[in-house]
Amino acid sequence: MILRILASRTFLSLVTLVFVSMVIFIALDVLPGDIASRNLGRFATEEQKAIFRQKMHLDRPIYQRYLTWIGGAARGDFGRSLSSERTVTSIISIKLRNTLMLATFAFLLYIPITLILAIISATRRNSLADNTISLLTLVGLSIPEFLLATILLILFAVKMPVFPSMSVLENVKTFPELLRALALPAITLAIVTSVYGIRMLRENLIEILNSDYIKIATLKGLSSWQVAWRHAVPNAILPTLNVTALNLAYLIGGVVVVERVFAYPGIGSQLVSGIQLLDVPVVEAIVLIVAGVYIFSNLIADVFGILVTPRLRTK
Amino acid sequence: MAQENLQIRPVQTQSKSKVWGMLGTMQPTAYIGAAILLLYVFVAIFAAQIAPYSYKKMAVAPPLSQPSREHIFGADQLGRDVFSRVIYGTRYVLLLSLAGTALGLILGSFLGLMSGYVGGWLDEVLMRTSEVLISIPFIVLALVIIAAAGPGMSGNPLLLIGVIAIIYAPRTARMARAVTIEVSTRDFITAAQLRGETALSIARRELLPMAIGTLLVEFAVRAGYAPVLIGSLGFLGFGAKPPTPEWGLMISENRVAIVTSPWTVLGPGLALALLVIGLNFLTEGISRIVGRSVQRGPV
Repeated sequence: MILRILASRTFLSLVTLVFVSMVIFIALDVLPGDIASRNLGRFATEEQKAIFRQKMHLDRPIYQRYLTWIGGAARGDFGRSLSSERTVTSIISIKLRNTLMLATFAFLLYIPITLILAIISATRRNSLADNTISLLTLVGLSIPEFLLATILLILFAVKMPVFPSMSVLENVKTFPELLRALALPAITLAIVTSVYGIRMLRENLIEILNSDYIKIATLKGLSSWQVAWRHAVPNAILPTLNVTALNLAYLIGGVVVVERVFAYPGIGSQLVSGIQLLDVPVVEAIVLIVAGVYIFSNLIADVFGILVTPRLRTK
Repeated sequence: MAQENLQIRPVQTQSKSKVWGMLGTMQPTAYIGAAILLLYVFVAIFAAQIAPYSYKKMAVAPPLSQPSREHIFGADQLGRDVFSRVIYGTRYVLLLSLAGTALGLILGSFLGLMSGYVGGWLDEVLMRTSEVLISIPFIVLALVIIAAAGPGMSGNPLLLIGVIAIIYAPRTARMARAVTIEVSTRDFITAAQLRGETALSIARRELLPMAIGTLLVEFAVRAGYAPVLIGSLGFLGFGAKPPTPEWGLMISENRVAIVTSPWTVLGPGLALALLVIGLNFLTEGISRIVGRSVQRGPV
């Protein structure tokens, strides 16, 4: 029974991913203007354009090109970049690694920030600390990430030059140097994501803290921190998983703006320059990867939820 | 989006007086939010009277000059008064945010109501499509649409409205559909069907009133994020085009002067943040009245 549900969820996710790939491919294929004349410039001769089209297989019908593309993508081959002679995979893999590095660092900051602040908030409801945290998270989710990033940049790279303003990775040799280079974008991302996590976890914790078994734990004489940590948090984590999955997906895909502020060489920056250069294969690959990560994180959150909550298995 | 995972309770129909009564129990944040929004609307309407200079007149002050009594936020690289540009920006941002959100919500609720009520293949097609669109993060989807629209459309306000609508419609549609499915088994829907009403009229007269509370909160949440979206796109260079006084674009234009005159960046940033804070505070208030908690995630 469980296996069947899991299999059908996984299958549905794959179907969605295939549809996403079609939508991306078609949307970027109908780009106004001819790819050949756009890439070769206005003064290209018809002959040059024809050769270009043949090289890029643009003379074939769209469904054939799609099948070639998706077949290659499944094997990790996204074709050749239009703006440089390199393969898309070789361009993207480094950028993807950088983004994953940044996302991991941000995520490692996200977990303690979310847990500590949510527990403080939920165990001391309506206290000064709780109200401050609530207000700060509400303000936090109102500040666009590019603004937060810029403010942190002004504060910690310009006024107090603790961190570099640009995350140049080429000169980084040691691990502490890497952390310093990643610090500002990672802190920005950690703040942006934990704002959602804190609010969600706080609400779930409050609901659970009102239940009977928590009252018994309190009557046993456990301290409020122990009650929260040993009894409430494990049960409140689950509903928070969804937000965390979204946060993870966001860390991979939505980092476009933050990467841009710090000139961080990740897939977000690559996506923006890919669109500026109208480098369709690069853009297609990045959007597909980002959507894949999003779908996959949601699937994981779903599956995990089903595994630990018997109630969800019946549907 | 986290919204999809909400348990949607049908909204209790409340009499007017009860709603007013609840206004009294509203948290002060909601009033602050409403006050901020009203302030922005006022500024947008009377921008020409409030702003001391034109938003595009150059060399009204020495380029990149410091904040002074005449130029509260200083001047940008072209010697334009940043404060005046911030004031005029209110018009642009408010108009686009509201138009885009409204369009997305109308489109989404229509599709969602039909999808949930008619069911069958229509439901299947609409829900698959919405799932596909939801799987691509906001900013990435916006960039793809803008790229697909081509350079000829770049900076066009209609394109931005369309982008916001396309991003919001599938998310709204799923909510409206969930409410519809929950409601459509009720007796008064059966009664309407027996009276021989068409699907469209049932959707409008029976289902919409039940979904309106949820949709209202949805509108507030979305409207709160629209300025961020517009600002982010402007910042990346895919939104408004110069000399439009859009805040995100201004922040990106003035970033070169971040060391010498930070207020050229902080000014528009403050305007943007305060508007979104106001909208979010108000959303919290509305969701309390409607009795639906707002849970959200990024993406």
